Amino acid sequence: MNVAIEVENLVKKYGNNTVLHQLTFTAMQGEIFALLGANGAGKTTTLECIEGIRSYQEGSIHVHGKIGVQLQSTSLPGSITAIEVYKLFSKWNKIKGDMTLLERFGVSDFKNKQYKSLLTGQKRRLHLAIALVHNPDIIFLDEPTAGLDVEGRVALHNEIRGLKEAGKTIIMASHDMAEVESLCDRIAILREGKLAFLGTAMELTQTYYGESRIIIRTRYPFPTRNLINSKQVKTTENDQNYLAVITEDIGDALLELLTILKELDNDVLDIKIERATLEQRFMEIAKEGR
Amino acid sequence: MGAFIYGVALQWKLDLRNKGVLITYYLVPLLFFAFIGTIFTSINPEAKETLIQSMTIFAITMGAFLGSPIPLVELYSSEIKKAYKVGKIPLWTGIVNNLISAFVHLFLTSIIIFLVAPIAFDATRPDNILFYFVSLAIFLIVCLSVGTVLGLYIKSTSKLTMFSQILFLPSLMLSGIMFPVELLPKGLQTAGFLFPATWGLKIMTRLQVDLLLYLPLIGFFVLACIINFIKLARIGID
Repeated sequence: MNVAIEVENLVKKYGNNTVLHQLTFTAMQGEIFALLGANGAGKTTTLECIEGIRSYQEGSIHVHGKIGVQLQSTSLPGSITAIEVYKLFSKWNKIKGDMTLLERFGVSDFKNKQYKSLLTGQKRRLHLAIALVHNPDIIFLDEPTAGLDVEGRVALHNEIRGLKEAGKTIIMASHDMAEVESLCDRIAILREGKLAFLGTAMELTQTYYGESRIIIRTRYPFPTRNLINSKQVKTTENDQNYLAVITEDIGDALLELLTILKELDNDVLDIKIERATLEQRFMEIAKEGR
Repeated sequence: MGAFIYGVALQWKLDLRNKGVLITYYLVPLLFFAFIGTIFTSINPEAKETLIQSMTIFAITMGAFLGSPIPLVELYSSEIKKAYKVGKIPLWTGIVNNLISAFVHLFLTSIIIFLVAPIAFDATRPDNILFYFVSLAIFLIVCLSVGTVLGLYIKSTSKLTMFSQILFLPSLMLSGIMFPVELLPKGLQTAGFLFPATWGLKIMTRLQVDLLLYLPLIGFFVLACIINFIKLARIGID
């Protein structure tokens, strides 16, 4: 797999305020790459630097291929119609009147409506059609499904998957963790302009050091006083024959629990481990840090 | 070239759909023309001599200072400029498209005044029509370049309404289009020279070409272009 985007030691300042600190990452061709972070973490600035919209003070950005950018909701004059926008962008990109994209994204149905009267979903579809008008290799999507209903979201997700299948690289910023988990191959999490995590969603939920919950059903009630001195177990909930413990180290905590249960001659009937969700992991990393 | 022409034509259509622009390009200037034409010519018959010029200057000043900056504020102070950048549309086209569109709209308004005034108010037409329209075009371009400064520097349309008046009202009161400048105190007469409208009235009411009168207008234009260029370069960077 070839590299689509290389960002190396990127530094962006607004006056004396440094918003991106030596940011380094790469996105590979044909992958869906998510850029996540709390508000003000530097996602949009990073995207705009890569898109060539913003200048930066230090570092380098190499983009291998043509880029297309999905605009945000307030990005066009209110009185312009969908077809006029599409034609304007087509003409400036020297693309002759190919209307297939309008058909594909269902923009033809509202092509003569003014931008201000379009619904959120219609605007998103129009923005995507415009982003693809010059057949780019790399597509930037900033909150692509924000404000969409379930049907619109599913349709757009299918389109994004279709673009990936067609070999396009997709770089997206999103607050929707379910969307990120279902669509993205890799995730970068920014915190205060620094890279706090880079890897797959699986890696984020499984390998990142954070809290998990172990729920054990036992034959007899479990006396929680046995766990008072435990270093592995942070909190416990005990209800009849159910014991739930919160731990940061599943292996050691489980070993300790099973040892105690064996000493008490109490049988284990069921064990369930609940790992943190992607959203919880994201909150831990993006807001509090490791 | 096709994209540029399409952009100009599109801006023309967008202006027609923009109420704020339509009001300042057509509605208010023409209503004011009808109102002032009726009053001035009945109070002072001599006003017929310069009614076309003074009402045209009023229309152009209003359209250029209050109307033409609106699309620019909407473009350069919003996410729309991002759309231009990502769509590979040069940022300068926003200014040029707006300038051409506003020029055509305000030239049309000027033609309406030129054609209607003699019929409705027995106003005197300029002797040299070609010279008059060339002067009008020069004055119009100068005013639009100054209006562009407002459009690039002011961040919202509500602030624009306020700041534009700083240029528009003195243009109205000190240029001589409402009453002779000789009636003003000396200091205000001098202050009037700071506004293009004063020079516009001078060149459009002259019977002969006086190139020296064009110099201040050229000065306004060059200064406005430099300011616009610097601002546009900054917008282009970030």
